Parts: sequence; structure tokens; C-alpha cells
Amino acid sequence: MVSVPHVNSEDRIMLERDEGKLKVGLVGFGKMGMLHAGILNFLPEVKLAAICEKSGLIRKFLKKVFKDVKILDEVDRLSSFDLDAVYVTTPIGSHFPVVKSLYENGVTRNLFVEKTLASNFDEARKLCEFAQEFGGVNMTGYMRRFCVTFMKAKGLLSERVIGKPLSFKAYAYSSDFFGIDGCSKVKTPVVGVLRDLGCHALDLALWFFGDLKVTDVRLKSVLNNSSIDSAYLRAEAASGLVGDFSVSWSVSGYRIPEVGFVIEGSEGCLTVNDDKLELNMKDGSTHRWFRHDLDDRVDFWLGSPEYYREDECFVEAVVHGRSVEPSFEAAAKVDGLIDEVLAGAGQLG
Amino acid sequence: MGRVLLVGDNPFHGISHLSQERSRVRGETPTDPEYAARLIEISILNGANGFMFSVSEKTLSILDLLRKNGGIDDLGLYAIVPYAYEYVRLACRVGGVPGLAKKMIGEVIFSGNIRAMASGLNGVLRMDSNSLAKTYLRYEITRVKRSAGRDARLESVLLHQLVTDLCLGLGLDWFFRFYVDFMVKAGITPGFNTGNFALLVKKLREWNINVEDVVIAAPFNRVGFQMVPSREECEKALADLPIPNVLAISIMAAGYLKPSEAIEYIAQLPNIKGVAVGVSKERHAVETFRMLRQRLSLE
Repeated sequence: MVSVPHVNSEDRIMLERDEGKLKVGLVGFGKMGMLHAGILNFLPEVKLAAICEKSGLIRKFLKKVFKDVKILDEVDRLSSFDLDAVYVTTPIGSHFPVVKSLYENGVTRNLFVEKTLASNFDEARKLCEFAQEFGGVNMTGYMRRFCVTFMKAKGLLSERVIGKPLSFKAYAYSSDFFGIDGCSKVKTPVVGVLRDLGCHALDLALWFFGDLKVTDVRLKSVLNNSSIDSAYLRAEAASGLVGDFSVSWSVSGYRIPEVGFVIEGSEGCLTVNDDKLELNMKDGSTHRWFRHDLDDRVDFWLGSPEYYREDECFVEAVVHGRSVEPSFEAAAKVDGLIDEVLAGAGQLG
Repeated sequence: MGRVLLVGDNPFHGISHLSQERSRVRGETPTDPEYAARLIEISILNGANGFMFSVSEKTLSILDLLRKNGGIDDLGLYAIVPYAYEYVRLACRVGGVPGLAKKMIGEVIFSGNIRAMASGLNGVLRMDSNSLAKTYLRYEITRVKRSAGRDARLESVLLHQLVTDLCLGLGLDWFFRFYVDFMVKAGITPGFNTGNFALLVKKLREWNINVEDVVIAAPFNRVGFQMVPSREECEKALADLPIPNVLAISIMAAGYLKPSEAIEYIAQLPNIKGVAVGVSKERHAVETFRMLRQRLSLE
């Protein structure tokens, strides 16, 4: 793609679009990297141009598989490909150095970073400062904001269908490590269950209710001593709304990770998870929606429809040069809450 | 020609695409291999003539029981590989994709299948994707035959939806060609399980892969649930096929529709080779397959 001098950034993006597709790079070809690569390559506006992967084994394989995608080992080498956007899908611990390098080496100003934005609030805040300094479009992969049940819930809450929210219970459960005892050789992700899974519930709560402050915390390390395996926390909003969170990756019956909320309001109760949404109003009326009822359609299905919507949303924002949510700023609030939890449990710093 | 009426394995894995809550309510009973084998046998008595399953330790145990009970010869087997959920979960536990790759290579090399071991070694040394894929497929076919018995009718091996659609998204035409060639040479009908039926058919044609050589398992239901990009586009692509080679899945939209209304819709579609339906109770097995046999089996 050829750079066009002496035009403003919006015009430049449109001109480049006329000349061809957006050139997108991807850092980290793990399961999330594969998923985004598959979706991006389908999108008509996008050309997957380069993949950066640390593992030599995977890199060798990728070189055999992709004929017209550059396969690289170092992030800074992406700077020679004139990329329009980069997806960062590496493990959470490397988000900060990778994103910092992408900004500082001028690889691109348009960045999508898988959740969580960083491995602590300090790093997340610095990434927000970079985003502010360099401009461009930034987004974090809290894909449940693109799940039809949660989108509908957000709409109903905004319309105050259940009146004023008074309290909520949230959960984020998976069976990923269910049935493993403390003596097992299985290693849980060092980031712990809060960053790996609980972050989705925290992000949705911030999206639904605004800023929260952690008031009570209990953390457990069940499987081995290297990570937090379950967490309970209580948080409050300035409005007086109180919420309880329960998070664990060793619960039976959750073969696929699931996030859900039960929200009590002055006029009724809203229950929502990845699969369905229910309203039980104080006047006795009830309503229930499954994904089937909520127009859960996309043009290409890989993983879950929400991943497609998320990528489509980011790409459209880059094409039109406009901001998009959840931005780094929004995602940093999740890292801030997690730091509050860890500080509350005496596990920070 | 009779249609293929397959017992699907989702309930045996504790899967409900309506909601996980529903599978939790069902409890552990359908996931017990002995109970699952019994459900399949009841389904056969009521019209089922095949079993579609993801290759996992659980379904291999079920095949083993069916063989021992003497019911396996009545079934056409439609195996889906890889069982993506098991591998994604394993990846979580062994340090991501590189850890999973190393573990898989180890398992295949020590599987005892000499051809798989040889092509696997070749694949690793040369990082040859075709050799690695051949190795993996031989390994899975061996697992199925070991449990089901040498004489079992392995009609088709289908690529799991996640793999089919990932390769589709990435535009890996060479992989589709390789897969079809490999399976045809192995005397097994190559199959694709997809959530992007219309796109898959379009791409197979663009890539000059004969759609008559393959079977495709894809969602078809009255409410358009999981029919991408739309029910209309999927129906159009279905009607344009030269032969009936589609296995309709999710026909009840994950329990959203009643069997009678689901079957009514499927019965009027062209080019449907058969259907796969999961059952979790004996009564479901009897009623559903009787109804399917009456409406779809003989034409």
C-alpha cells in the first residue's frame, strides 16, 4: 500500500482503501491468533499480510502453509511491511512489550489487543498513554460485548426496563481445570483465573453499570501454588449498586467458559448469560430470548458469531478512522479492578 | 434410495447448543458410555442406520460397547476429527499450541501405527504439513477401527467444523485438495463439517474440487439457526448441488424446534443425504427416529 503525503489521516485511509485492501499483521499464532487470522482473511476489506510468531516450530509450519503471508520472528521486523493494523494475540504477559514495540517502531497506529490489555494496571495505563500519543484506532478483545444476549441486556438496562439496578450477581466459570488435584503436573496459566476468565465478567459489569470499586475479596489457589484458581469479590458503584462476582476455572458442567449475570432492579430481574436472556418483572410478566431470537447472524462463522462481529467492528473503525469500544481506556479499567482485587488480597507487588 | 439417519453424539459429550444450562440439567446420564450405547441401539431399532461422532475417548468407548453387543454392523459410521474441544482444552493444560503440537506428535509416534509413525517422523523432520496431516488422519482412523472393529463400515471421516472453517477462512485450498485425495485413496468418503455451508460449496467449486466426491454436514433448520450467512443462501447452495450429499445437522435448532416441525422442513429440502440428531432419553430415541424413518427414510 502506497503512502499519500500532504493529506489528512482520514483522507489517507480512504485513498489507501481505494487502492487496495487493509494490510493487517498478527503477532502470536496461538488459538486466538488462528481464530482472528481466519476471520480477518475472510473479510473483503482485509489482506492478512504478516504473522509474527515466537515459536520456531510453529513458524516453520506457517511458512509451509501460507504462500503469500510473511512469517517473522521479531515484532520490530513488521515495520517494513507498511501495515494498516496489527492484532496482538500473544500471552497476556507479553502484551505490554509487544504493543510498546509496535508503537515505538512505527509499525502501525491501529491496534487490536486480545484481553486483558496488560498484566497490571500500570502497564495498561502506559499503553493508554501510547495510544493517546500515537493516535489511531485501538481496541481490546472483550468479545462478549458482541454477543447478542449481552448486547440485548445492555439495551434493556439502558432503557431501564428493570428500573434502577440495585444489586447483581455475576459469574465466570469453566471446567478447563475441573477434576485436577493439587498434585497434578498440569500447570494453570500464571495470569490466574481473574485475568484469564474473570476479566469478561468485570468488563461486562463496567459496560453495564459504569465504574466500580472493590470492597471485599477472597482468592483461592486450589490446583497448585502458581496461580489463582477461584475468586470471589464484591464491588460497589457510586450509585450504591452492589455486585458479587464468583470466578473459577474448575467448576463441573462448563465445558465451554460461561459468563452470566443476575441483575435485580427496582422493577424486575434480568438474568443473562452467553446463551439466553430472561426478564422476570415485578408485575408478573416474563420474557425469554435465546440466541435464536436475537438475530445472531454473521457472514462468516468461526468460533462464535461474536468474534466475527468484533473483528468486523475493528476493521470498519480502521477503514473509517473512527474510535471503537472497548478501547484501551475501557480495557484498562478491567486491569485496574483486577489490581484492586489483588491488592485487597495482599497479592500485589 | 433411503436416507441416512444418524444418531448424533452431542448429548453424549454433555453438549447442548441451546444452552449449557440445559446440558447441566440433563445431568451425567447421557454421558455414560453404556447408557449412550443403549440409546444408539434403541435408535437403530426405530430407524437409525448410522452414528455420527467426534473421535474422543468417550465415543471410542461407545463404539467398543456397540461392537461387543453386536450392533455395530448395522451402522454406518461418520467420524468427525479432530474433536476440537478436547484439543483446545488440552492446549490450555499443556502450554498452548506449541505444547499441544509436541504432545500430539508424541502420541502419534507411540500409537503403534507403523505408517503413521513413518509419515509423522518424515513430517517432523521436514516440517511437511501434508505428511503431518496424513499422520494425524491415519492415527484417528486407526483409533476408530481399533474400537469399532476392522469390519465396521467407516463411511466417512469429516473434518471438524472448527478446522474446516478455519481452513476456509484462511483460503487453504491446497489443504482441502490434499484431504479429499487422501481420503479417496483410503477408500473413505471425505467429509466436511461446516458452519459456512454456502461459502464452502462456492469455494470447493472455485478450487475445482468435485463436490460429488464429498459429504458435507451443515446446519439446516426452519428458523435458520446457525445457517450462515442466511437460511436463504444455504437453501440456494443446497439446491444447486448435483447430488444429495448433505447431512443436515442442528435440524431442531438445538431443541428450539419440536421434532415434527423440524422434520417437516427437512423433508421438503432437495439434496439431503441424511440427518444427524442427538438423543438423550430412551423415549426421545424411539419417537424421533420413528418419525424420521416415516418422513425421511424411504422415497
